[in-house]
Amino acid sequence: MTTNLFKPAALMAALVMAGCDQSTDSTAEIFLPNKNPFPSTYAVPANPAFALVNANILTGDGAEMAGTDLLIEGGKIIAMGVDLELPEGTHTVNMAGQWLTPGLIDVHSHMGVYPAPATSNHDDGNEMTAPVTAQVWAEHSVWPEDPQFEKALAGGVTTLQILPGSGNLIGGRGITLKNIPALTVQGMKFPDAPYSLKMACGENPKGYYGSLGMLPSTRMGNMAGYRAAWIEATDYKKSWDDYIADANAGEDVEAPTRDLGLETLAGVLEGDIRIHNHCYKVDEMAQMIDMAKEFGYSIAAFHHAVEGYKAAPMLAKENICAVMWADWWGFKQEAFDMVRENIALVDYAKACAVIHSDDAIQVQRLNQEVAKAMSAGNRMGLDISAGQAIRWATQNAAQSLGLEEKIGTLAVGKNADIVLWTKHPMSIYSLAQKVWIDGHLRFDRNDKSVQPTSDFNLGIINPGATRP
Amino acid sequence: MKHASMTKSVFFASLLSASMVCSADSILIRNADIYNATGMSAQTHLYIDNGVIRALGDSAPTSADMIIEGRGMSVTAGLFNAATHIGTVEVGQIEQTVDFYSDNHAVTASLKLADAFNPRSTLIPHNRVHGLSHAIIMPELGFNTMESGSGSLFAGQVALVQLGNQPKVINDSVAVAVDYSEAGISQVGNSRAAGLAQLRQALTDAQHFAANKAAAMAGNHPDYVLSYADLEALGPVVTGTKPLLVTTHRASDISNILQLAADYNLTLILSGATEAWMLAEQIASAGVPVIIDPINNLPISYDSLGARIDSAKLLAEAGVSMLFTGMDWHSTHNAYLVRQSAGNAVANGLDKLAAIAAMTTNPAKLFGAQVSGTVTIGEVADLVLWGGDPLEMTSEAKLVIIDGEVIPMQSRSLQLRDRYYKRLQALQQ
Repeated sequence: MTTNLFKPAALMAALVMAGCDQSTDSTAEIFLPNKNPFPSTYAVPANPAFALVNANILTGDGAEMAGTDLLIEGGKIIAMGVDLELPEGTHTVNMAGQWLTPGLIDVHSHMGVYPAPATSNHDDGNEMTAPVTAQVWAEHSVWPEDPQFEKALAGGVTTLQILPGSGNLIGGRGITLKNIPALTVQGMKFPDAPYSLKMACGENPKGYYGSLGMLPSTRMGNMAGYRAAWIEATDYKKSWDDYIADANAGEDVEAPTRDLGLETLAGVLEGDIRIHNHCYKVDEMAQMIDMAKEFGYSIAAFHHAVEGYKAAPMLAKENICAVMWADWWGFKQEAFDMVRENIALVDYAKACAVIHSDDAIQVQRLNQEVAKAMSAGNRMGLDISAGQAIRWATQNAAQSLGLEEKIGTLAVGKNADIVLWTKHPMSIYSLAQKVWIDGHLRFDRNDKSVQPTSDFNLGIINPGATRP
Repeated sequence: MKHASMTKSVFFASLLSASMVCSADSILIRNADIYNATGMSAQTHLYIDNGVIRALGDSAPTSADMIIEGRGMSVTAGLFNAATHIGTVEVGQIEQTVDFYSDNHAVTASLKLADAFNPRSTLIPHNRVHGLSHAIIMPELGFNTMESGSGSLFAGQVALVQLGNQPKVINDSVAVAVDYSEAGISQVGNSRAAGLAQLRQALTDAQHFAANKAAAMAGNHPDYVLSYADLEALGPVVTGTKPLLVTTHRASDISNILQLAADYNLTLILSGATEAWMLAEQIASAGVPVIIDPINNLPISYDSLGARIDSAKLLAEAGVSMLFTGMDWHSTHNAYLVRQSAGNAVANGLDKLAAIAAMTTNPAKLFGAQVSGTVTIGEVADLVLWGGDPLEMTSEAKLVIIDGEVIPMQSRSLQLRDRYYKRLQALQQ
């Protein structure tokens, strides 16, 4: 990770300056905030090479492969094909035609920030003390012992984006985690994953702050609130750009005072931080897109896109993912126009369709949510295969996170995040049997020693026992 | 369509265009797997005439007004969800449309949720096209905006509704609901002990009122904690003729409620019951039915620490009669997803027929439905033809018959779908 705030070019200049002028006292040293002050401490565990042979595979990019072998080393898939020639002595596990998928990715989770039990002491997901709280980072709220993580792992979920809640216009930074047991959130952080920024359209921010008699109390108030923040961020970014330019020109200038919130927003304007925007309705999505153009940033994904099927051509054109549930509706007016075919229709319109849970029950069975959405599409005649459907929880999800080069598909060079299923992954009777993350076995349904359990579970029901 | 043997594709096309088959028509479903709580009959013919199941198996006539080849498909009775708010909410956060709880704590056991049932709710067609034929509608406690401890644990009266072409209340009072969960207890002073004391007092008052009604109505009675109307509503409960339906989760709370029921000779139904598996033998021997959502496996509160994914299996093994709700908090707008909860129970060890019983015959019997919850000769047809295994999410409801009538495959959601699918198709050309 680089440690500068802004453009790589600026960093280059800064490094060159520092390098040239180290010996002289007159140099203006350029102070740039550390972009990664809470670095991941995760390291890929060392494992000998091993092969999974004779598997049926939903590769995650739309394809299905029968009787295929995977060779895994150093946490990566290094070879894949039918009747692979394996190095002599390679540890080999025969899949006997069982199904593999990539590790599932949930791009909208509040586990850790809204853990179980859902008591006020851990109610850490929504900093609802001001409508714009770009300065908060979800990772600082994550409780790694949340006993919900292990249940998602047992459902084949290997990567999670943990987001702040949607009470605020701008709710703060999200973080991408590997779903592994760790004492600290740093131990779960996906190394080098881009940060995200949570924004929220519609009823939530205006409803809450309106009830307090402050802006925003209306949808126009919502828009005014975001735009005011981007104006500030633009100025803030300019103050740092000017500082860097002046310092590079040899002027004796002081760095601007840091502002955590504006630093995050400036990171969005720089293209380093990806916008994940809670936004149900097509009309609001269109306004968010215009606002992004007004200020010169891009939107990675609209979450809870209940009206994704209405917005699909626009989303395809703008290259924005629609992140959707299979069937949630009716809890709010903005979620009233649900169709079960939403995900299938967004896919049909060639936009990036992603499934998400936003829910610690459904994250445990994202494959079933995919199956429901696939089945709805097939009922109307779209003829979607399981291989195509699983993309919604794999390749497309990875794309929305900016991690498509690393995860989301089973292919040579990708991280060995793999799920072995007891039955076809679209079956309700199918359970994750084994789950590997970076080639390391993290869950085995048949081996208690590979079933992580939170500290919380020890002796909580009966002394000496662990809650199941 | 008369006497035309229909291929699968012809049948699907016909469902979209000419889905209305009047109830006088005869329907023959050939070779579907027929599931009842008592067993599965593989590849069996099913013949329905005038809304009644007239033949099963090879004795079925070979001709009918509508013939469906059901090979690879399955039939179950119409599904029940045993804990919903269907017809008493339209949009969750538009409070004017929400009637399943009240902030008026002066009304407790006398609240009849059936009074608020809206047969034109969009939730009804949405759920019935996916196979839900009946629902229990359950009142909940309102949030207490008054001083702590001034609330009541009695949420009101539970009703059975049918979701057919003319949705209706079948029984406007099948039980009186009590919330003895942590949420309920927060309304009565935040102590389980205070909650139980209040329940005992209310039941004692109801007994007194029932035995001394004339005098009491004339004003000659000790101080009652509830109104006359509420005490009147509890009359059949304290005589054991109407069940008290108690939502509670922690094992010790369940145990106390079982004791309360024994002390007052109540007929009890448990709901929620996250830790019921710990007391499964006791619950079974008390003959107390349990409404659960088997998908809930998270320790989401301190009274649900014992949540586990195989609790339905454990309850069934002990002989507890189960009724299912779910899936999770979607048990109203998507109450049909009770089938997904049931499927997950089976994936985690529950017998498949027991899972189907918990959505069909068990609730039909317990709540006195006009249908049997079975697919049996002589019974009114209240059933679903599924595109495959009855619990798979990839099995869509192909034909739904509720109380003898075929349901049109129409809903607001399907209209929206069709409108936008056409637009997207046009863009692709």
